[in-house]
Amino acid sequence: MILFSSLGDGYVWRALLEVVIVGVLCGAVGVHVVLRRLSFLTMALTHATFPGVVIATMLGLGLVLGAGLFGVLLVAVVAALTGPRGAEHGRETSSVTAVVLSGGFALGMALMSTQEGFSRDLTAFLVGSVLTVQPSDLVVSAVTTAVVLGVLAALRKELHLAAFDPGAFAAAGYPARRLDLVLLLALEATVVTSLPAVGTIMAVALIVGPAATARLWCSRTATMTAMAIVVGVAAGVIGLAVSEQWNVAAGGAIVLSVAAFFVASLVLQSLPWGEPVAAAVARRKSAGRPTYSG
Amino acid sequence: MSRPAAIVFDQASVAYGRVPALEQVHGTVHQGEIVALVGPNGAGKSTLIKALLGLVPVASGSISVLGRPPALARRQVAYVPQADTLDPDFPVSVAQVVLMGRYRRIGWLRPPGRADRDAAAEALAAVGLAHRAADRFGTLSGGQRQRVLLARAIAAQPAALLLDEPFNGVDAVSQEALLATIRALAAGGAAVVVSTHDLGLAQLTCDGICLLNRHQFGFGPPGEVLTPDLLRAAYGGAALELGDRGLIVARS
Ligand SMILES: Nc1ncnc2c1ncn2[C@@H]1O[C@H](COP(=O)(O)OP(=O)(O)OP(=O)(O)O)[C@@H](O)[C@H]1O
Ligand SMILES: [Mg+2]
Repeated sequence: MILFSSLGDGYVWRALLEVVIVGVLCGAVGVHVVLRRLSFLTMALTHATFPGVVIATMLGLGLVLGAGLFGVLLVAVVAALTGPRGAEHGRETSSVTAVVLSGGFALGMALMSTQEGFSRDLTAFLVGSVLTVQPSDLVVSAVTTAVVLGVLAALRKELHLAAFDPGAFAAAGYPARRLDLVLLLALEATVVTSLPAVGTIMAVALIVGPAATARLWCSRTATMTAMAIVVGVAAGVIGLAVSEQWNVAAGGAIVLSVAAFFVASLVLQSLPWGEPVAAAVARRKSAGRPTYSG
Repeated sequence: MSRPAAIVFDQASVAYGRVPALEQVHGTVHQGEIVALVGPNGAGKSTLIKALLGLVPVASGSISVLGRPPALARRQVAYVPQADTLDPDFPVSVAQVVLMGRYRRIGWLRPPGRADRDAAAEALAAVGLAHRAADRFGTLSGGQRQRVLLARAIAAQPAALLLDEPFNGVDAVSQEALLATIRALAAGGAAVVVSTHDLGLAQLTCDGICLLNRHQFGFGPPGEVLTPDLLRAAYGGAALELGDRGLIVARS
């Protein structure tokens, strides 16, 4: 395979490292996105982060830094617009989300149209450019991943309960809104971090895809998380190999392999013997030990 | 019964924004008592439970839970939602759901310990579902899921237990199992408030009845509250009749 023979080149190593890091991050965060049905919100965040990239370019800021700052602003706007979640006064989220999505994207396009020379650089941020990842990008990705995974692990009890039973979570006196905000920030950090690898648009596939695939097979959140991470990393590595082998765009190849995992899982489960296999897998995983683990 | 008061309503009114949902609730639930909230759809039963959890503000008068304002008592209050409001596909085991009842006690950042697992296992055994511990929550029947949620509440060892229509869609046997567990918890000193549409059940099993329809029509022992006059007043006229052998619900 060309991927392995070309590992001598530094840029391929960096790309490989980047897709592994991003695969881990997206897989782990995606579990929360899928369990809380936030896929659409994630899509909105990825699209609305796009103008941040354009503004950062215009101001000459670092792209990831610019997008990150804009992302935090965006999260604040979304949180303010949707109102207290769970409370009946909260606005209907999906229409707010849709407006944020298209508005953000339109703003990015409008800004971009005023800056003729930039259009080529910026397409890299729409569809990704993992082969040009710089060592500094790798450091940013690694640090973000460590921080986000740390936060998710530290809050896993509370995140699990809040996702499963938001009513009981609020009734127990937990600060539901603040936890939502933490998750939203983790999600936006993930979007910004996966920008170099797959771009704003396809980041949503890398976040939602592996977790949605794992959900089809797993009956525990812990196993689902592990499988989502494995699928995220595998899709990244396979996509990169395909891209090196046949010279197709890496971002596209990565997202296509995510889609392949998901579709293959759907097909396997819809085959006559798919259900029993999935059930047997689930049973074997849980057999014997009554898992009172959080 | 002169046990200490656990929940005290003092001319309490509850409002969503400026629209009053429930007015003039006045009465006391003592430790070890089971009080049923009854009334027609939209009467304000769920609203009163939300007020007891501090999720809806008290507009006038006051509600005190375990001697404190509702929002400050939540750590000692357990709430049992209707099982059918939860996602049956969620990847979580029965044992994990019950363990969730311990989370508040365990606190942030710390993992569950031996004592928490034991309490969860014991609570699950109390509702008769110990053998389903390793199964996914969604694979249980509706009545069994309701019992698991009750086990979760028991695992929290609450001083007050609030249940919103726990008997909906639950067969007679599961109902009996739920009731036995609730009674055991009350016998241990917990105050229990349960909303229900089953007047017969409320009459036979509860120490007190709170009859509601936008305001309070009665609060006291079943014999004093479930009278034809009060029921007709609360349910708006013709719907209910009482016979001499227990309760007969009929249309006239
Ligand atoms: N979030 C809300 N905002 C405004 N009004 C509400 C809200 N929730 C309930 N209400 C109103 O408060 C009243 C009481 O509703 P509640 O849900 O407490 O009734 P309930 O007794 O639980 O009825 P049911 O038997 O149907 O469950 C209703 O008239 C309802 O319209
Ligand atoms: Mg109700």
